[in-house]
Amino acid sequence: MQLPGASQKTEKEVNSMKMSYARRSHVVSAGLFLAPFMLLFVAFLLAPLIYAFYTSLFIERFGQPIFVGFRNYVNAFQDAAFWSSIVNVIKYAVIQGVIMIVLSLILALVLDTRYAKLKSLFRLVYFLPYAVPGVFASIMWGFLYSKPLDPLLQAVHFDPLSSGALLYSIINIATWEWAGYNMTLYSAALTGVSSDLYEAAIVDGCNEFQLAWHIKLPLLRPTILMTVILSFIGSMQLFNEPFLLSALTPISQTFTPNMDIYAMAFNLTNLPYAATLAVLLGAITILISAVVMVAARLVGRARRQSEEDTVTTGEAVAA
Amino acid sequence: MSSIERATTAPSRVVEEGRGQWAFVKHFITVIVMLFLVVVAVYFLIPVVWLLIASTKTQTQLQSTGIFSLPAHLELFQNVRLLFSYSNGVFGRWFVNSIIYSGSVAILTCAVSSMAGYALAKFDFRGQNVLFYIILASMMIPGTVATIPLFVIEQPLHLVNTYLGVILPLIVSPFGVYFLRIYIRDVVPNEMLEAAKVDGAPERTVFWRIVVPVIRPAIVTLLLISFIGTWNNFFLPLVLLHNQSLYPLPVGVDVLLSLIATPAADQSMPIYQLVITASLLSILPMIIGFILFRKQIVTGLTQGSVKL
Repeated sequence: MQLPGASQKTEKEVNSMKMSYARRSHVVSAGLFLAPFMLLFVAFLLAPLIYAFYTSLFIERFGQPIFVGFRNYVNAFQDAAFWSSIVNVIKYAVIQGVIMIVLSLILALVLDTRYAKLKSLFRLVYFLPYAVPGVFASIMWGFLYSKPLDPLLQAVHFDPLSSGALLYSIINIATWEWAGYNMTLYSAALTGVSSDLYEAAIVDGCNEFQLAWHIKLPLLRPTILMTVILSFIGSMQLFNEPFLLSALTPISQTFTPNMDIYAMAFNLTNLPYAATLAVLLGAITILISAVVMVAARLVGRARRQSEEDTVTTGEAVAA
Repeated sequence: MSSIERATTAPSRVVEEGRGQWAFVKHFITVIVMLFLVVVAVYFLIPVVWLLIASTKTQTQLQSTGIFSLPAHLELFQNVRLLFSYSNGVFGRWFVNSIIYSGSVAILTCAVSSMAGYALAKFDFRGQNVLFYIILASMMIPGTVATIPLFVIEQPLHLVNTYLGVILPLIVSPFGVYFLRIYIRDVVPNEMLEAAKVDGAPERTVFWRIVVPVIRPAIVTLLLISFIGTWNNFFLPLVLLHNQSLYPLPVGVDVLLSLIATPAADQSMPIYQLVITASLLSILPMIIGFILFRKQIVTGLTQGSVKL
């Protein structure tokens, strides 16, 4: 009687050994597949970020690093040039973001109606600037902005490169570059919707405008939120356009935080302070993005709640 | 109740008020919509059309003729010859560099990301979700924040001012891993993997012979997106490279542009012509490739982002 039980046990043991062997080889191969990415991720993304924070705790005196704790941050909080550059990019991010996203939405929604013909041609033309590097977009617009090359500007006495107009001229370049990209994301989100919903709405007597406003726009809400966040993160890093335009017109080295950081690191060779400002810029960007995401989620929940309330009261009335 | 009422009354009202009027309104809206679409299209095309025209002019024509008027004699080839002879043909070098950077980054990103995406999609191990969320969260970090410290970290590794120093950091694509993880999870059937493993195929073979062929469309998308992204990148090579012969096109042309403010610009060198022709030749391959491969790019962009 004991013999079969013992053999059963060993069988189980063998099984579990097999399992654990399979399990181990499973984990090992997962690790091998992940290794190249993780190695590069740690070496070229995590390590620089951690190192940026580490260096920001030092100052350099005669080539020797001296630990100063958070003194660089205390200095940064009193650095008027840095904060005015932050205000500049936030202003830029809001104005450019609103203009671009409204334009992208209008284009996507108009191209989604039956009044638009040659849809794929227009979609291609609008999306084309995505393939044009920001540097060359800045050069093309920069030349169109400069008086010696553009007789039209000489006629209207308007200088897009003057300090008062510069921010808006950059907004125009960025909108030209990215509006089609965002439109493409919205268009794709709209084509994913089943046409039954639209047909039901049309049977209900919706016209194209009501369809866009009451049905398509709410459907696009998650995509809009995502593009708002991505565009905000990009705007806070504004560098290429003003850096390139500074060849054509005098622009302050502290016009945007990234220009400030770049000048701090390479013109003034103050790497610890450049790292401090980079950490602050990253922290501010992530903080605002997170606040926007949480706020959007709360608003969305409140809206759903109120919709449910109206539905239930409606049902109650019907009953 | 009310929706059914409307459904029956609305069409009958249209019939009563006459179809002719409605058809007129419809035509009118179509004309307005098309007008709007054409105006916007002109806006998006203006800079590129201007660049094409400007590249056919000499420096003096550029300043004396209207911005959209073609010169009587096209100087495009003259300008191109001028550009390629500038500073011992350094422009050709920049062009080749851009191809090297973009090509190797695109290929390596696909290899590294598809392997990591496969591990995250089809294997179970502890900390898997945490790892995935760390990778996702890193997409939120402004890319330029890590660039200045990257310069400091690359110095002792002797990677500053090398091809590898630019290529390696650009291979790290959290988006690529995220995108391929989703794609592999949704598209590669588990039964197919199990069957291959029961037959005794080693993991390496399963990956290259089964996973890669199935996800080829997604790999093509990632290849194109990271090629464009690298071709367009300016800040990273600007920070990491100091040797003109290693520059990619955007950084090289920035050097040309910065000569405009110098006194040499007017007398000895037609800087405007060099910059304009260089810009045209830098964006032309991208625009042609983009028109050819737009479908593949759009699929990937939308698939990766809609679910974010």
